[in-house]
Amino acid sequence: MMDISDLIKSISLFKPETTLIVTFMLAMILDMAFKKSKNIAGYIAIAGLVIAGIFLFQQTGVNYKAFANLLVIDSFGQFMKFIVLMSSLIIIVFSFFSNELHNAHTKLGEYYTLIIGMTFGMFLLVGSANLIMIYVAIETMSISSYVLAGYTREVKRASEASLKYVIFGAVSSGIMIYGISILFGLTGSLNLFEINQFLSVNNVATLPLLLSGLMILSGFGYKISAVPFHFWTPDVYEGAPVTITAYLSVASKAAGFAVLLRFFKTGLLDSVPGTSEAWQLLGNIDWHYVIAVLAVLTMTLGNLVAVWQTNMKRLLAYSSIAHAGYLLMAVSVMNDNGVSAVLIYFVFYMLMNLGAFFVVQLIANKLDSENIDEYNGLGYRSPVLAVCMTVFLISLAGLPPTSGFIGKLYVFSSVINSGYIWLAIIGVLNSVVSLYYYAKIIRNMYLRDVESAKTKLVFSPVTIAIVLMLAIPSLLFGVYFTPIVEWANYSMNIFVGN
Amino acid sequence: MEIGLTHYLVISAILFSLGLYGIITRKHAIMVLMGLELVLNAANINFIAFARYGGMNIEGHIAAIFVIILAAAEAAIALAIVLNIYQNFRHVNIDEVDDLKG
Amino acid sequence: MDLITIAFYFFSALTIVFGAVVVFTKNIMHAAFSLLFAFFGIAGLYVLLSADFLAITQIMIYIGGILVLIIFGVMLTTRITGVDVKTGKIGKIQIGIAGLLTVLIAATLIMIFSTSKWYLADSKPLDSTVNEIGTALLTNYLLAFEAASMLLLIAIVGAAFIARKKH
Repeated sequence: MMDISDLIKSISLFKPETTLIVTFMLAMILDMAFKKSKNIAGYIAIAGLVIAGIFLFQQTGVNYKAFANLLVIDSFGQFMKFIVLMSSLIIIVFSFFSNELHNAHTKLGEYYTLIIGMTFGMFLLVGSANLIMIYVAIETMSISSYVLAGYTREVKRASEASLKYVIFGAVSSGIMIYGISILFGLTGSLNLFEINQFLSVNNVATLPLLLSGLMILSGFGYKISAVPFHFWTPDVYEGAPVTITAYLSVASKAAGFAVLLRFFKTGLLDSVPGTSEAWQLLGNIDWHYVIAVLAVLTMTLGNLVAVWQTNMKRLLAYSSIAHAGYLLMAVSVMNDNGVSAVLIYFVFYMLMNLGAFFVVQLIANKLDSENIDEYNGLGYRSPVLAVCMTVFLISLAGLPPTSGFIGKLYVFSSVINSGYIWLAIIGVLNSVVSLYYYAKIIRNMYLRDVESAKTKLVFSPVTIAIVLMLAIPSLLFGVYFTPIVEWANYSMNIFVGN
Repeated sequence: MEIGLTHYLVISAILFSLGLYGIITRKHAIMVLMGLELVLNAANINFIAFARYGGMNIEGHIAAIFVIILAAAEAAIALAIVLNIYQNFRHVNIDEVDDLKG
Repeated sequence: MDLITIAFYFFSALTIVFGAVVVFTKNIMHAAFSLLFAFFGIAGLYVLLSADFLAITQIMIYIGGILVLIIFGVMLTTRITGVDVKTGKIGKIQIGIAGLLTVLIAATLIMIFSTSKWYLADSKPLDSTVNEIGTALLTNYLLAFEAASMLLLIAIVGAAFIARKKH
């Protein structure tokens, strides 16, 4: 039972989330009050996110089980929340420049409001340490994202995207809750800490534990679009407004990976301390292999199918599936090095993936198309944009001297250090395949239509500045990456209590 | 034979499988949602049965209540989206809503 | 057979039979109304499991709320008078595969459920669960309770936005 001092401390540690709730309400009310101003809710959302960020920063070094173990406040959660927060901020800025959204609606109040709602859901998900809390948090973020995916609701493909998203999402969360019910039956508890204790003392039948674990994984796998729960990804990424596509590919994946790692470490790890060693898992099931198989399937399918794509959003959708595969590789080693690699990778992935999507958005604003052929001769039509896009693509492919290379380096070294050489080899082979389709875009930009007299594309200085603000760090962190690595190493310990 | 935990679990297993069958075979979006409701109810039977035989553990009841709340929210959103699809496509058959391909 | 046993088999039969009608019937209105009886059967099972509050919640929210919502959805998206009430089905082979898969899943689940060792404890049914549930919701599950209210707000805003008339 929760006592009052615990409650007061919990509420004081809940400030970032409280800020988001207040922002949600304010954005909604002020949007109705100021009918003339189109982006008022967006400005409020930015202000709210900045304040939430300050509160989040104040929690540095805090490890606490809040709200009677429903929520864990720790540095791992703080890191992931910063990723979510940063990408929400960047996406709101992107949305100011989206023709697609502004043509469809005269006002975007609900849009910014729902982004804040989704951020709130992801903050909860990152910290949840109770299966019911995880379910509530996943649904909070899902319900906002279903609506956001179909935000341009008169556009056929957007409404189709939201239908597919909601159907697949509802089914996978239904299967997840069935898995949770089985785990509850095995252990008599919904709390990850108590489940952990029960599993370490009692011998639990393997088959139902495996079954419930797989069913719960289907809910997480859906969020990170891991094969075989990826069916929705290409269609939803192509149909949704490009800002939302970018958002789903970064923030929602970050929250999914955070809950996946926390579920395994808090729920299924033997609490014998052994920090840099592989986590001892409970219950006779080798989850390393389950996750490793998922990782191999995910990256291979993502990369192979991406080769055939001609629509940029679809191509980046498959590429994001492949990146989920690389990240799953780091999860599958299940030690703190793996966690640190996931954290490092996510910082760089956020920069390069959001950058690539913003370029796609800018091109679509001008040319009203996302076809890969529209990028022909871009190197001559808009040199700055093409150079930035090249940086993002090289970084996504994981070549030096970009930050993507450093991210991959840490992922692969964590895999090799744990002795999964075969997994690392499959990962490297996949990176080679991915080079093909990233290089295809670069070739289109510089080697196609060189002679053509197509008009120059002129973009406003503000948008170019935003692209540069994402491209320069993508390059810079490729050379000077120590601060990120140190931050990740500081944050890699998931708090498991005492 | 006295009615025990296993009886309820078997009912739940059958209901879960029926729901899955509905989800896989139905084309009509609302029919898929009905299949989903069966799956959620199967999970709820599990929660309540485990709660009853696990020492009247109230956590199972709490879980079931949250499942019902979220099912309502999800159904509301899903039906709003289905209505929107109907306005755009004049039907709601999932496999015929396929402008996106590749 | 005592009364409990008879009641159990009655409610389970109600649940399974009407659950089957929901997924096998071609008529969408029949499916929606069969869902009503299936939900009612499940509420009966809850009573047998001495979950009185849940049984009432099941009837009020599932039958009174969700089912009405679904029936509205059916009526707004299908031409009741036309042939469209009968919904399309997929090909015979796919049905066969889906059926086989379903039977397989059901068999596996029943096998696991009937052989596994579950977390069991002696218990005597409470007179009423309302008190316990209320206490738990406002102490140990306070955050989940509040988060659910936020979720419902988001759902209302979202659903109202998506379903709003075009301008």
